[in-house]
Amino acid sequence: MKISRNWLQSYVDLGGISEDEICRAITFLGFEVENVIRTGAPQLTNVLVGEVLTRNKHPNADKLSVCTVSLGDALGVKTIVCGAQNYVVGDRVPVALPGAVLPGDFVIKQSKIRGESSDGMMCSAKELGISEDAAGLLILADRPLLGAPINSVLPPGDTVFDIEITPNRPDCLSHLGIARELSAWFKKDLVYPQENFRGVLADNAATRADLLASVRVDVPEDCPLYLAHVISGVKIGPSPAWLQQRLSAVGLRPINNVVDVGNYVMLESGQPLHAFDARKLAGAQIIVRRAADGETLTTLDGKERALNSTMLVIADGSKPVVIAGIMGGENSGVAPDTVDLVLETAIFKRQSIRATSKRLGLTSDSAYRYERGVDPHSAQEAAWRAIDLIIETAGGQVVGPVVKAGSDIPWQREIVVTHDYITEKLGFDIPASEMRAAFEALEFTITREEETVQPARGPAWTITIPSWRDDLDRPIDLVEEVLRLFGTEKIPAAVVSSPGLVGDDDPVVLFNRRATDYLVGHDFHECVNYTLRPGAELKTWVSETAAAELALANPFVEDQSHLRSTLITGLLASLKLNQARGVAVSRLAETGRVFVERNGQNLECAAVGFIIAEDSARHWQPRAGTDFYHAKHHVVALAAMAGVDLARQPLAPITGPYFGWQEGQSAAAGEMQHGWTARFGLLSLAMVKAFGVEGKVYAGIFAILPEKLAAATAARRRYADFSLQPAALRDLALVVPTAASAGEVQKALAKSARAAVGNAFVLEGVTVFDVYQGKGLPEGTKSLAFSLVFRAPDRTLTDDEVNAVFTKIQDDVVATSGYLIRK
Amino acid sequence: MQDQLSALLAKAIAELPAVAARPDFEAAKARYVGPNGELTALMKQMGAVPKEARPAMGKLINETKAQLQTHLDAALARLEAGELAAQLGPAVDATLPAPDAGPGTYHPLTLVREEMCRILRKVGFTVADGPEVETEYYCFDALNTPADHPARDAQDTFYLPESARFANVTKKTPGEKYLLRTHTSSVQIRTMLKGEPPVRIVSPGRVYRRDTTDATHSANFHQLECLYVDKNVTVRDLKALLDYIFESLLGKDTKTRFRPHYFGYTEPSFEVDLSAKHLPKVKKEWIEIGGCGMVDPTVFAGVGYDPEVWTGYAFGMGLERLAMLLYGIDDIRYFYQNDLRFLKQFA
Repeated sequence: MKISRNWLQSYVDLGGISEDEICRAITFLGFEVENVIRTGAPQLTNVLVGEVLTRNKHPNADKLSVCTVSLGDALGVKTIVCGAQNYVVGDRVPVALPGAVLPGDFVIKQSKIRGESSDGMMCSAKELGISEDAAGLLILADRPLLGAPINSVLPPGDTVFDIEITPNRPDCLSHLGIARELSAWFKKDLVYPQENFRGVLADNAATRADLLASVRVDVPEDCPLYLAHVISGVKIGPSPAWLQQRLSAVGLRPINNVVDVGNYVMLESGQPLHAFDARKLAGAQIIVRRAADGETLTTLDGKERALNSTMLVIADGSKPVVIAGIMGGENSGVAPDTVDLVLETAIFKRQSIRATSKRLGLTSDSAYRYERGVDPHSAQEAAWRAIDLIIETAGGQVVGPVVKAGSDIPWQREIVVTHDYITEKLGFDIPASEMRAAFEALEFTITREEETVQPARGPAWTITIPSWRDDLDRPIDLVEEVLRLFGTEKIPAAVVSSPGLVGDDDPVVLFNRRATDYLVGHDFHECVNYTLRPGAELKTWVSETAAAELALANPFVEDQSHLRSTLITGLLASLKLNQARGVAVSRLAETGRVFVERNGQNLECAAVGFIIAEDSARHWQPRAGTDFYHAKHHVVALAAMAGVDLARQPLAPITGPYFGWQEGQSAAAGEMQHGWTARFGLLSLAMVKAFGVEGKVYAGIFAILPEKLAAATAARRRYADFSLQPAALRDLALVVPTAASAGEVQKALAKSARAAVGNAFVLEGVTVFDVYQGKGLPEGTKSLAFSLVFRAPDRTLTDDEVNAVFTKIQDDVVATSGYLIRK
Repeated sequence: MQDQLSALLAKAIAELPAVAARPDFEAAKARYVGPNGELTALMKQMGAVPKEARPAMGKLINETKAQLQTHLDAALARLEAGELAAQLGPAVDATLPAPDAGPGTYHPLTLVREEMCRILRKVGFTVADGPEVETEYYCFDALNTPADHPARDAQDTFYLPESARFANVTKKTPGEKYLLRTHTSSVQIRTMLKGEPPVRIVSPGRVYRRDTTDATHSANFHQLECLYVDKNVTVRDLKALLDYIFESLLGKDTKTRFRPHYFGYTEPSFEVDLSAKHLPKVKKEWIEIGGCGMVDPTVFAGVGYDPEVWTGYAFGMGLERLAMLLYGIDDIRYFYQNDLRFLKQFA
């Protein structure tokens, strides 16, 4: 909202208060000053009125003249070199003498221009900072006094504050509203505009049914009050200068006296008004109704609007003439030949105006105010004020009493608040007298003041809230009012009070922290990528059905249309960006939310993911490359942080067209069966290539339901005793089918070993240490070598007892699994 | 015999320094002091020594044996030192870089978030977390945001289709639409609904606004919000927290100030400005850093906390904005590009 300082001055005397102080006041009253715009001439010293006495061509420059300029008796005549062309001898113009500082910190000095000395400068409007006109000198009309300071001749400047009004304060979408706030802040009186009319004459005048026969409201729930005043005999013409200046200052284009008054009163009081040409109202009727589906109205901005039955319109006997509260139609507006007016001031329901404005994509100063709420008592006041100004600027007279549909909206609101309550909420003391003064300054009426039961706790006030402050309805709301006027800058300092911790950090937070620490500790660079990814990419990772479920209803841009199902794509994008910029990068990681499909429903999971790309940096000493087991190693570690022991979980190869991973080089576990999923290995070479990334990329991701994570961290391990006796080791190589996995062979061997050992002693481990395929082995087989560790809790094992068991194990595993012993 | 002992010792002293390998050493050792060695052979001659000369001779034998052992030990030590030295390559050039990628780095948003969480933990805040897909109730209704509030428009908030199902994001009422949370205040609501006061949480997390991405806007960004609910919490307590946070983060020359503002879920509400002379982007200016206020009684009533008994404050800020201030970063998009030259600057 643009607020003019000159305009404010009509209601509150801000004389002697600097712009900075006013800005500060607005800021600490709770509004943001977005911009301060100065118009007109700034205060200038040493810039005076002069008259050109002679004008001769400059001897050394074609475009310059050497003039003599009179500045009156006291200052005499000066010689000035001038480049302008638009003046003649005898013109009076602004003259800046040495010592003057023009806008832009342009200091005027005694100088020589092309050899001719110059005692100053004759100025254009632009050089004085009053307009953009730099075409020539500012020729002063009406022959002002020679030597007079220029500011006494130019119209006064103005300062316009562009203020953001919070949605709870529609009362401040007006000059009076802001003036009220400033009057309270600066402790100055608020002066309301003087009204002459106030309905006195109209009640006695005769009604003219030919101008307005009836007003009817069909939807009182959307329009509780509608007032129409009839003014006849107006003469449409330009507004007086003062009115035009005020509107121009706040960015409104003056149109004609009646329209300008309507805008002026709205910007003064916050109450929107609308004026009809009475002769254009068919049947001299006004009907407030919903539009019929299919009706149209060409609004004042020249656009035809298609209306429907949800929209409130003002209609005459045959057609809509205004989209209620939003914008008038071309068919009924005030025109240069308008003589008789119907002036509308009404109250519309906020939600109705908002919905229509949104549907039509049409907003206006009027709609903006109705949407936020207009003082229910301002309709009559604003009409009276507008009538005064119309009669003053356009002539005419009021015909008949107000035509009213609906009834005055009842407003009665009292809040009881105690000094003690406010102090308790603030945590520091403001004297009762100061609180009282704050309420009164804001024009709240204290209808009763009494001591509370315990007198030491200060008074209780019964406060009547004015109708324009619908935002106040509880004692807590008054705490803010007191604090605003006290000044939030003055809240006293204090030490933070901190009773002991009430809990631990959320399990998801703890998990992310551990996972990130781990990955950073393993040379990964932590990344942050957008959660929103392009839909096309998603189809590589999840089924089409799942992808559809992850689509936003209202994406903003195409490449951020879907929720991510994995962290891998974001990391690939980061990898791609670095590769494209020639930055060597290998290990990237991220933690964050992903959305995983399970049985057709999406689940929001906490996830950690990483990629390991081929290191494109050249090193003086090569390191071994990355393989599947690097990825596995990290995923196992990360899963363990979530309480998942991947060694105990069945691993399945990842197959199928969707899943972004290279078949035969990747594996998955969990698959959300128990609330978590893990995938790792080589990313699909084709997918990575299509993504625009160079080289092989290994990756891993672990995702888990947050609620599962909470349960996982609760379990505490129990200590198991271990033996201090020496271990006995035996190695065993098994020849197995190529297709047999190390996991299943290990499982079979471990089972045989556990059975053979029994309770005699302990089998501590069965670990694969060699995998061999090729020469010396039958076609279609491979050899897996295992190390078996035996130990007794209480003694050194003898060779004999270990050998006996070892033989039994070999016999058993051959018998049960069909594997052969490799000799 | 005495001469034989001296000759044996002399031979050992002459031979042993030349022994270069362990087998040679073992052979020499056996030759001198082994069961079939020369010293053993001499000792066997003791029987032939006259009885009166035996003590002297015995002593001489023992001395010779001890000396032999000393020389053998020295030879062995020399061999072992040689063996260890053989395991080493040439001396390293310590100035060569380690040929591994790394070290790893934390993202600046993580660094700032964790620093804030540490600061807040010291005064009793624990970190809370919640879903990023939310429902209208948790994101808006419970926070006193009216049904026709502009923040809820599809123009400003990302919604999911009505058909979308998120099995583990609970809805309060069946008809609610899923959306991407526009602030982490929804975590406050879920936390309050889950447990009894007092509550003292900080909820950092990702939030979403339907905004054009440019140097200062991003479709998703991160917020950090604090909520404190207890008896007799005051505006002054809130100011004390903000002073504490920013002094801890930025040092003693940091100042904060409140400006009255409006939020639906707090009353009174404030915007928080901060000034810190040493920050290049701040200097003496006041710069807006977040919003805060006293929890509105309506919010308490909605989560079943008695507003007559419980009071509290809430504070929220953007993490990117804070990180930009702290590090002097001027484009929010850098946080999401993960250019290594950016990431490596903060760890």
